[in-house]
Amino acid sequence: MMHTLRLRALSRRTALGALVAAAGLLALPGLSTGARAADDVFIPNIVELSGAGAVSGTNWRDGIILAVEELNAKGGILGKKLNVPHLDTQSDASIARAQVQKVMDDKPYVILGPVFSGSVLVTMTQAQQNEIPEIVGGEAAAITQKGNPFVFRTSFGQQASMPKIANYIRDGLKAKSVAVLWVNNDFGKGGRDNFMKEMQARDIKVVADVSTESGQVDFAADVVKLKNANADAVFVYTNEEESARFLKEARKQSLKGAMIGETTLLSQKVIELAGDAANGVKGHVGLSADAPVASLNEFGQKFKKRFNYANDHNAIKGYTAIYMIKAVTEKIGKFDSQAFAKALHGMTITPDKEPGILMEATWDQNGDIDRASFLGEVVNGQQKIVEVLPKIGK
Amino acid sequence: MSTPRILAWVAAAIAVAALLYAPMVLRSYGVYLLALWAVTTIAALGLNLTLGYAGQISLAQGAFVGLGAYFTALTTNAGLPYPLAFLGAGALTFAVGWCLGYPALRVQHHFLAFVTLAFTTLVFLLLRNEQWLTNGIYGINDIRRPTILGVATGRNVSFYYFALVMLALFTFVQWWILRSPWGRAFVALRENPLRAASLGVDVRRYTLMAFAIGSSFGGFAGALYAPLVQFIEPNSFQLTYSLKLLLMVLVGGAGHFMGPFFGAMIDLLLPEWLRFTQGYYLLIYAAMVVVLMIFCPKGIVGGFVILRDRLFKPAPVRRPDQPAGGTAAKPSA
Repeated sequence: MMHTLRLRALSRRTALGALVAAAGLLALPGLSTGARAADDVFIPNIVELSGAGAVSGTNWRDGIILAVEELNAKGGILGKKLNVPHLDTQSDASIARAQVQKVMDDKPYVILGPVFSGSVLVTMTQAQQNEIPEIVGGEAAAITQKGNPFVFRTSFGQQASMPKIANYIRDGLKAKSVAVLWVNNDFGKGGRDNFMKEMQARDIKVVADVSTESGQVDFAADVVKLKNANADAVFVYTNEEESARFLKEARKQSLKGAMIGETTLLSQKVIELAGDAANGVKGHVGLSADAPVASLNEFGQKFKKRFNYANDHNAIKGYTAIYMIKAVTEKIGKFDSQAFAKALHGMTITPDKEPGILMEATWDQNGDIDRASFLGEVVNGQQKIVEVLPKIGK
Repeated sequence: MSTPRILAWVAAAIAVAALLYAPMVLRSYGVYLLALWAVTTIAALGLNLTLGYAGQISLAQGAFVGLGAYFTALTTNAGLPYPLAFLGAGALTFAVGWCLGYPALRVQHHFLAFVTLAFTTLVFLLLRNEQWLTNGIYGINDIRRPTILGVATGRNVSFYYFALVMLALFTFVQWWILRSPWGRAFVALRENPLRAASLGVDVRRYTLMAFAIGSSFGGFAGALYAPLVQFIEPNSFQLTYSLKLLLMVLVGGAGHFMGPFFGAMIDLLLPEWLRFTQGYYLLIYAAMVVVLMIFCPKGIVGGFVILRDRLFKPAPVRRPDQPAGGTAAKPSA
C-alpha cells in the first residue's frame, strides 16, 4: 500500500515538475525566434567580466564603451549607430562558445573579444564558420597560426613580442642566465613555450622553469625556488593579480636579479596592486597610456575622467578595436562582414586619417598586428617608457 | 483514476510535447542551451542517485563528466565509432566510480566530500599535465558530432533531439533502478545503514554500486557534452563544475526524482533570465539561490510537495488495528 502511494506521489510530482520545467524553458527571453531592430549595427562584445579574466575584460569593455559613446554621439558609422551589448564569458571557454553561438542568431557585423586566448581559440572557429570577423584581445601565438581569415588581433601575438623581450634580455641587460615564472593556463603556457624558444636561439641559459596556478595566492615557495636558481634575470609571465602577489613576495624575500615582464607585469593594474614592490620592474610594453605618444596620453586622461580609474593596455585594445571597425567600414563603404575581413588584411590605418586608432597599425594576411611598441620600467610607482621600438615592418 | 493523477498525466504529456516542439520556436542558441540542459540533467541525475537516494556526498561528479568527455573525444578522434566510445565512457567511469566508492566505506559526510574533492583535483591535474595525451591546458577543439543510425547530429536541432532521447533513456533507467530492490536498498542505506545491514542489505556492495552507477551517469553525460560543446579543456571540469552539479541537485531537491531537471534548468537558464541586469546578474543569481535554500531547504520539488500536500492532501490511511484519530501513514517524499 505504502509503495503504491509512493509511486503515485512520484508520478504526480514527476509530471507536474516536467510541465513547469518545459514551460520555463520556452519562456526564455532572447531565445525565441524574432527579428532585431535593423536601424543599428550589431557588434556584440563577448568578454571576461567575471572570473580570472575580469580585470582584463573590464578594461577591454570600458575602452569599447568609451569609443562607442564617442562615435554614437557623432552619428555612428555611415550614419548608423552602434549597438554593442557586453556578454560575460565568466572566463570559461565553453561559456564563451555558447555566447558566440547566441549572438550569431542576430547576424552580427563584427564580433569583439574575448581577451583570454583559450576562449578566442574556441570562438574563432564559429566566427569562421559564420564568416563574421572577430577582433580579439588574445595574445597566444596559435590564434593567428590556424589560417583563419576572420580573426584579427588588437595587440602583439606572443610570437612577435617574445623576440623583442629576448633581444632586450640579451642586449639591454646582457643577462647570461634567466629564470621563468609562468601561469599554467593557455596564455602563460603559450608565452613560456615561445620564450624558451627565443632563449635557446640566443644561447641564454634557463636555470629555473617555475609553473604557477591561475588565482594562486601564496608565491613564497616559488620565490624560494627562484632565489636558489640565482639567475641574472627573472621573466614573469602571469595575469595581473598573480603578478602583483608575486612581486610583493619577491620584494619580501629580497629576490635578486632583474625582474622582466611583457606588458602585463608593467600594467597600471599590477602597479596599483603591488605598490612599491613593482618599482624596478622592466620589460616590453605593447601599449601604454604613459608612452611618449600624445594620442595615448589623451586617451588615458579621457578614460580616467569617464571611468575614474587608470586604464591598462586592454582598454586601449578595446578602444582601438572600435575605430578599426570604423576605418575599415568607411573604406569599403558598406556593412559587409566578408568584405570587412578581406579589406583588413594588409591594411594600414594611420592616426592622421583615423585619430581613434591612436598609433599607426598594420594587419598582415594572418590577422597579426604590427605597431610600434615600447621598452619600459616602473619608477616610483609609475610606468616610465625608456625606448620606443619601431614597427617590425619598418 | 484520481483528479490529481489525471492532471499529472496531462501535465506530463504537455511537457513532453513542449520539449519536442521547442526547436520550432527557439533559435539556434536556445536549442543549444536546451541540449546542454538535457546533458547536464543526466549528470545531475547520477549525482542525485549517489547523494539524494544513497546519501553519499560526492564532489567528484564534474570530474566524471570530464573523464567521459575526454575519453569520448580522444577515442573518436582516434577512429573509434561514437556508440562504442559512448559505452566505453560509461564503463570507464563506472569502474573508476566503483574504486572511488571504497573510501566511502570508511568515511562519511564531509570527510567523504573531502576525499571526492581530492579526486576532482587529481583528475584536473591529470588532464592538464599529461599534455601528450590530453593536449594539456589547450584542450581539445573541433570535436566532431556523431552520425547516429544514419542521422547526422551536426546541427544543433539534430543534436538536441539526440540528447533528449538519451535523457529519456537515462530517466527511464533511473526510474527502473529506484523502483527495483536496488533503489530501496539505496534509500535504506541513506536512512540508517545499521538497520539496513540488519535487514540483510549488503552495505558494502550497495555503497559501491551507488557510487559506480552515479559516476557512470556522469561519464555518459560527458560523452554527450564533448560533441555538443565541441571543445573541452581541463578547466571546465574543475571543482567549480562539481559544485555546480551539487547545487543543481540541492536546489532542485535532493532525493526527489524531478529535482535534477529543475536544478539544471535553474542553473543554466536563470542567468539568461537575469541577463538584463548586466553586471549584477551573478550577484542576483547567488542571492536568489540563498533565499530559495532558506525558505525551501528541500529544493524546488520539496516546495511542490508541500504545495501538493496542502492542495490534495491524501485522506489518512487507517490500519484496521489503529484506533480512529491515530497517525496517518505518510507517503515518503
